[in-house]
Amino acid sequence: MAIITISRGSYSKGKEVAEMVASKLGYDCISREVLIKASDHFNIPEVKLIRAIHDAPSILERFDRKRQAFVAFIRSELACRVSTDNVVYHGLAGHLLLKGIPHVLKVRIIAQLEDRIITAESQRAGISKEKARTLLLNDDQERRKWTQSLYGVDPWDSSLYDLVIHIHKLQVNDAVELICDAATRDQFKTTDKYKRKMDDFAIACQVKAALVDQFSEVGVTSHFGNALIFAKSGDRVGQKLKKRVKELNNEIKGINNLEIHFGLPLPPDAV
Amino acid sequence: MEPLTTEMILVMIMIGIAVFLFIVEWIRVDVVAILMMVSLPLLHLVTPTEAFIGFASNAVISIIAVIIIGAGLDKTGLINGLVQPVLRIAGKSPSRVIIAISVTVAGISSFMQNIGAAALFLPAIQRISKQLKIPLSKLLMPIGFSAILGGTITLVGCSPLILLNDLLAPFHLKPFGLFDVTPIGLALVASGIACFMLLGRFILPKGTTDDDHTDIQLEGQDNLPALGEQYELHTPVDFTDYREPVTVSDLRQRYLVNVVAIIEPPDFKVTSPGSDIEVRSDIDLVVCGKKKDVTRMAEDEGLLLKEDVDVFKDDVSESTSGTVEAVVAPRSSLVGKTLNQANLQDQFRVTPLAIYRRDETYRAEISNMVLEVGDSIFLHGTWRRLKILQEERSLLFTTPVDVEFMRPEKAMLAGFWLAVALSMIMFFKIQLSVSLMTGALGMIVTRVLSIDEAYSSVDWRTIFLLAGLIPLGIATEKTGTAAWIAHAILNTIGTVQPIVLLTVIGILSTVFTLVISNVGATVLLVPLVVNMAIAAHTDPRVAALVVGLATSNSFMLPTHQVNALYMGPGRYRSVDFMKAGLVVSIVFLVVMIGMISLIYGV
Repeated sequence: MAIITISRGSYSKGKEVAEMVASKLGYDCISREVLIKASDHFNIPEVKLIRAIHDAPSILERFDRKRQAFVAFIRSELACRVSTDNVVYHGLAGHLLLKGIPHVLKVRIIAQLEDRIITAESQRAGISKEKARTLLLNDDQERRKWTQSLYGVDPWDSSLYDLVIHIHKLQVNDAVELICDAATRDQFKTTDKYKRKMDDFAIACQVKAALVDQFSEVGVTSHFGNALIFAKSGDRVGQKLKKRVKELNNEIKGINNLEIHFGLPLPPDAV
Repeated sequence: MEPLTTEMILVMIMIGIAVFLFIVEWIRVDVVAILMMVSLPLLHLVTPTEAFIGFASNAVISIIAVIIIGAGLDKTGLINGLVQPVLRIAGKSPSRVIIAISVTVAGISSFMQNIGAAALFLPAIQRISKQLKIPLSKLLMPIGFSAILGGTITLVGCSPLILLNDLLAPFHLKPFGLFDVTPIGLALVASGIACFMLLGRFILPKGTTDDDHTDIQLEGQDNLPALGEQYELHTPVDFTDYREPVTVSDLRQRYLVNVVAIIEPPDFKVTSPGSDIEVRSDIDLVVCGKKKDVTRMAEDEGLLLKEDVDVFKDDVSESTSGTVEAVVAPRSSLVGKTLNQANLQDQFRVTPLAIYRRDETYRAEISNMVLEVGDSIFLHGTWRRLKILQEERSLLFTTPVDVEFMRPEKAMLAGFWLAVALSMIMFFKIQLSVSLMTGALGMIVTRVLSIDEAYSSVDWRTIFLLAGLIPLGIATEKTGTAAWIAHAILNTIGTVQPIVLLTVIGILSTVFTLVISNVGATVLLVPLVVNMAIAAHTDPRVAALVVGLATSNSFMLPTHQVNALYMGPGRYRSVDFMKAGLVVSIVFLVVMIGMISLIYGV
């Protein structure tokens, strides 16, 4: 009864670890399907979603609301998916997309660059050592820039995770055992309180995803199904937002009450 | 023209600071006035005696007496008694309703504070709106504007006019009589009402009646659908077993359901319990909420939802408790505070249910909302506690809660003392302050209201605002600043017809009253325009009168207290005031100048 996110660099054996953890605990292992579902649900080509969540935004793109919208779509899909519990997610930025959920076990798998180059060479036919090195360094750089521009943190900051495992002396099996052991600890158990929190988070993410296209600056919170939308005051936008929000009650399950709070400061837990 | 002296420059700087602070509102207007009162003698621009002479002025004493007389009339229900006959005369036609109430409100407003007259009629107007299905937005603005215009009918109708004679005294000009302004005031009220009668459909927001516009209804305890109804529930014996404690605030956050009464074991009944009170096992509680929310709560928490209120039937009955709509008053101490900080629940034992702000009902997380002037708070509590909160005066109640505290038997006495005060002014030509204070004293001696009630009814913010700005007027005059500015303006605009000059003064006063308070505008402008009029060979009294009247021309922004009060319940936006206010303001200026030229032959 837990939610595990595994963050990893390319060819760090994180995928292997995730699959084995899921298999050992009998959990679902998800990654790309979140993007596929988001792509279907919001009718956005998958490649655009991948770019939004993988590539660091250029200076111009930082002001582009589309990217924010795509991230909101992915987060909404991920939140809905993991709210069913017993899930290992090893896609991109899981630990950041699910920020604020207390019982998520956040794991980071790292490996030495040389080991990763070897793995890359063995898994991708015809790739030279140098090319693999460049590819991995570029990839790491992109990830770093992405998280810094969207969340203002460095993915290599170990305080973002509950567990950072270096696959070198510790092998994949050791990592799996450590993670499985941690996942069964009390603090990661899905209690009623945490389940409610996860459901609320999923509601807030869905509401945000439904609005982000037209109203990129709104923030959403939910508490026991009472969703609050925080928006800046403004008569014209306000009227449009109210109209759109009225439709949401029927679109999103689990909402008990939906209110717009105009001109109030955004609470820290708003998505 | 006299050369500019250091003292004049200092006075101008002080005026600049005062106007700046009035506009930005970093500190409250009355504090700005006190700042002036203290800094002017420190800068040797006025003597210490002059700095505080405002407190002994006729204007301030008159205002105090007018407020006490108004409180006395209010206490006996004399004015409330007018509501029913007025409504009978008004019938069911919207136009007649507007005319009848507007005329009455204007009449009352001519001898008591405008805001008081406006607040008195608010509940009745809301009732009429619902009964006759006339949108509240169609009624409130014409009536609110009439309350402001009514202030121009007599010399005690509004603060600027009360102040006028005091500001004229240094120039040795003949003071105005109580009813000198009446013809102009009546014409202004009539033109204001006519504006809405003829152009109402173009200048008033469309709006709908409360029934379909908002889901909040304002009176009748059984008729508050958006806030829900009262339900009694019982907790099971194992309610608290193996779980985290559930508090009153948890139920509110989770289900938007407000606990209005609960049993504290063994059998102590608590009404409007504090948010941290724990819900125990095997007890009864009464909640106020929507049926679907209450049902959901009962299911999720395993509570037994009873068919009727039973255990608490005497404690939450309509005769002992209820829900009221209270509007955050202009200059209320609650402005800028959250409900959490205001702590109404602990201080007064009343439960805030919802906040209504600019067309939006807020039920969730209201405790962290920063309150603004014109916010309507829906409060539940016993009538006695609501009354105590009402007396604290930071909230204006739009639903009457004071039935048991009224003294209707004293109504005749209150009316008598008002008549005494008015006849002293009219027939015996005794000074305004002396006559009005006699009326106020009469009411206290004959126990229409107690001396403590009289003291607490006085709005000290108004008193300090008036008294604090008077020395600024003295300094402007004494140092020759007013004369200097007047000459500078006249030199710039050249020789103009008196009527043009008066129109310019009227427009200037209108602009000033919109951005700084009407009292501030009067104090600053009267010395200035008197000097301008003398230099331009126009009657200085008339110029001062234009300022006194035009500072009531405050319709274009919701800055006037009455507009701020009606903005929330009328669900008006600033743009509504701009639209209707612009038309009424122009008509006001035209009628005022027309009437003045007719009466004073300018």
